[in-house]
Amino acid sequence: MGTRKDPPLVKDQTYMVRREGVTHVVSENYSYKSDTYYTILSQEMKGVAIAPTSQSVLDAGVVPICLEKARLAGIRVCEWGISHSYVPFPALLYGINYFATSSDYHPVAGPDETKAAIKHVTNCGKYPFCYQGLGDGDYIHRVHSVFGRVTTEDPGLSRLAGEIYDLFGIPLQTLVVRERAGEYAFSSLAPCRYSALSRDEKTLLHAYIERQEFL
Amino acid sequence: MSRLGIFVDRKTLSSAEQLTALIHCRDVAEAMGHSVEFIFPVDIHRIPQMDALFIRARTDPMNVTYVAARMASFHDIPVIDDPRSIRVCSDKINMYCQLMKKGVSIPRTIFLSRHELSPEKAEELFGELGRPLVIKEPSTSFSLRVEKVQDTAEFMRVSRRFSKLSDWIVVQQFVESQYDWRIGVLGGELLYACKYTIPTTTFKIQASVNGHVVYCDVLSVPPEEIPPDVLDLGLEAGNAIGNGLYGVDIKKADGHACVIEVNDNPSLESGEDAHYPLVYRKIVGHLLGA
Repeated sequence: MGTRKDPPLVKDQTYMVRREGVTHVVSENYSYKSDTYYTILSQEMKGVAIAPTSQSVLDAGVVPICLEKARLAGIRVCEWGISHSYVPFPALLYGINYFATSSDYHPVAGPDETKAAIKHVTNCGKYPFCYQGLGDGDYIHRVHSVFGRVTTEDPGLSRLAGEIYDLFGIPLQTLVVRERAGEYAFSSLAPCRYSALSRDEKTLLHAYIERQEFL
Repeated sequence: MSRLGIFVDRKTLSSAEQLTALIHCRDVAEAMGHSVEFIFPVDIHRIPQMDALFIRARTDPMNVTYVAARMASFHDIPVIDDPRSIRVCSDKINMYCQLMKKGVSIPRTIFLSRHELSPEKAEELFGELGRPLVIKEPSTSFSLRVEKVQDTAEFMRVSRRFSKLSDWIVVQQFVESQYDWRIGVLGGELLYACKYTIPTTTFKIQASVNGHVVYCDVLSVPPEEIPPDVLDLGLEAGNAIGNGLYGVDIKKADGHACVIEVNDNPSLESGEDAHYPLVYRKIVGHLLGA
C-alpha cells in the first residue's frame, strides 16, 4: 500500500470515479431514498452508465433478494427463510421492512434473546423477518470490500468479495460472511462507513477516488 | 392448466372487502381452468413453482412484496406488480421522473434535497409554483405524508418532517378538483375507470380529520362516459411506467387534465370495477394467457 498521507474521506460525501465510460459512485450510504440513491437515479434518467444501478442498490439492501441473486450467480450463500415468529436457533436474523438495514443483524441462540430480537427486527410484530440458520462453531466475518478488493490475504474471502462486486457493482460495502469448517457462505451486504475502514483500506479507496486508478 | 399464485399478507386478509375481491379473483381464475394458491410471506420459496404471480399486498421496494416480485422475475415468472413497476410507483421521485421523461402532463413539480431546505427556498418555490403548495414524501401511499402548505413556516415544518424519511422530497403545484379520475390500465389498455370524490373536509382521497379517517366515495364510470382526454392521458401515463397494472390518478381543472400519480397495485375492492365485470379475467389472461 502507498505510504503518502492521504487526505481524509469526508463523512457523508459521495465520490464519483469515472472509468471506461462508467461512473462509479462511492458512498457510505446507498440506501433507498438517500442522496446517493437519488444521485444514481438521476444519472440513470439522463442515460449515464452508472455503477451501482438503482436496481442493484435495492437488490443488495434486501437480504433474501441479495442472497437469491448471488445464489443464481453461483455464489455459495447461507440458507434462509422468512418467518413471522419461528426460528430454528442458533440463527442470524435480519429485518425485511421499510426501517430495516442489513447492517443490523442479530445472532440468536436461545428463546429469550430470540424473542427480543424478533420484536426488534419486526417492529413489534408488524413485519416478517429473514432468518439464516447457524451451526455450532460457525463464525461470522465482516469484511470491507473496496471495488471488490479486500485487504485480507484469505483467498476465499478475496474471491467472494470479487464475485460480489462483479454482481452488484457497489464500490464500497461490508460483506457479512459465515464461515463453517473452512467454507464461506455469503450472508448479506451492509453499508460501510469511511471511519470504519482500516488505514490500508482507506489508502486503497483513495487510489481509486483520487488517482482514478483501477488496480 | 396453469398455477396462479396470489401473494397476500396478514394486512390484506384483515379487510373483508379485500378478502371478497381475492376470492372473486380465485373463482375467475379457476373458471378459466387454472389452479390458484395463496402465497404468504413464509411461502416465498414456493414462487418458482408457480406459472404466474399476482401480488395483492402493499408494495414497497423495502418490504416482502418486493422480495416476492423479484423472486418471480429471477425465475422468469410473469408477475403483477413487476419489480420495476414497484420501484417506480412506490417512489414519487422516480415516478415523476419517468412521466417527465415521456412528456406526460403533470402539475409543475420540483424535487428538493434536504440540503436545499431553507425559508428563502420556500419563498422562491411559492413564487414559482403558486400558493398553496403540495409537499409529498416520496414513498407516500393512500395520501399519507402528503400535505398542503400555505406559508413558509408550514413549508419548513412539513419539509423537515418528511426529510427525516427521505433525503429528497416532492414539491408540487396545488391543483384543486372535486374528484380524481382513476384510469385502470393493464398492458397499455383500459381496464376500468372510476371517480374518487374528494371529501369536503380534505384535499386527499383519504385523510385523518379530527382523529377520524375520512375516505373518498368511489363511482365506477362506464367506458363511453370517460372524457377522451382523460382516457388518453391515463393510457399515456400507464405506458410511461411499463406494461403492467396501474391505477392512474388524474385531476382536471380549467379544462386541463394532468396526472397526479400512477399507482401500482391499484385497489380493486371498493367498487372501482362495477361497470367492468371482466377485470379479473383480463388480469389472469394477461398473466397466464386466456
